[in-house]
Amino acid sequence: MSEHIINILEGTRFASLSDNDHSRIRAHSATCEECARAYKLASVSASMLENRMVETFEPSPFFHTRVLAALREQQNEGPAFARLWRAAGALVSSMAAAVVLFAVLSFAVFDQTLPTDASLTTAYSPEAVILNDFDEEQTDGQVLSTLYAADE
Amino acid sequence: MAKLANAGNEDAFAEIVRRYSPRVFHFASKFFRQRSLVEEAAQEVFLKAFTQLGSFEGRGSMEGWFTRITTNTCLNLLRSAKRRPEMTVSDLSEDESGWLESKYSGAAEEEFKSSERSKVAADLTERVLETMSPDDRLVLTLVDGEDAPVKEVAELTGWSESKVKVQAFRARKRMREAVEKLLGK
Repeated sequence: MSEHIINILEGTRFASLSDNDHSRIRAHSATCEECARAYKLASVSASMLENRMVETFEPSPFFHTRVLAALREQQNEGPAFARLWRAAGALVSSMAAAVVLFAVLSFAVFDQTLPTDASLTTAYSPEAVILNDFDEEQTDGQVLSTLYAADE
Repeated sequence: MAKLANAGNEDAFAEIVRRYSPRVFHFASKFFRQRSLVEEAAQEVFLKAFTQLGSFEGRGSMEGWFTRITTNTCLNLLRSAKRRPEMTVSDLSEDESGWLESKYSGAAEEEFKSSERSKVAADLTERVLETMSPDDRLVLTLVDGEDAPVKEVAELTGWSESKVKVQAFRARKRMREAVEKLLGK
């Protein structure tokens, strides 16, 4: 039995097969049912494509007008991000400004209301209270709490 | 003209559309069978071309440049479209079965030359092609349908020549298998 011809069918465009190829294929197909079927199917496929390829459309006379209109529309619209920014830009900007404002205010108020560690460490020592060695006038409560804390 | 259009001259671009739209339509018609789809693809081609006019350096022909953009646009559109499920004998109309059977049995060629028969065959082919992958369809259309040389298809698609050959080899096999299934052989 001669070599199977499937490779010829799959490796070459059917319409480009030479007369020699067709003779070889037919000779082999006479004794090989599988290749005979493949040859017929390849022929049908080629005929199908041929029928499909003859169909073609022509542009309508208004096609270029449509394209130009679409182009203008596209240019007016601009890129997607720009469109999104135009729609929501003001809202996003005001929200960002509000966040910054809240942050600034929070830190400013926090700084004013909480005592710093430095003010806590300059509390008066029992010796300073007894010897009355401090710059500012102290309340009785401050003096008492300093002395009793030292006792404990 | 490309320079003028790139500089924003609308008349120059309109002239480009007028001059190359027959070629773009001819090419897109091989991938889509509905006029609306062909027009949609062609419009996309020209909008894309307008944004890429700056990259057209005038080394090759503008027709070749448009063919390349059309090929890629059609391939992308095919990839984004839903593929038809595999067809079986029961999906065929009587005319389609008749056409296939007589073609397979090698009945006289003249019988199928009438335009109505051609339409039946074209309908059937389109439906079979819709079941195939976009890459298979592309290569069958260009290499087997349009008789484009492998080198040209490689340039149009950006694939290597070996890839075009292998893809064509496999696509022919798959097309044959699809037809075989329809014939119930």
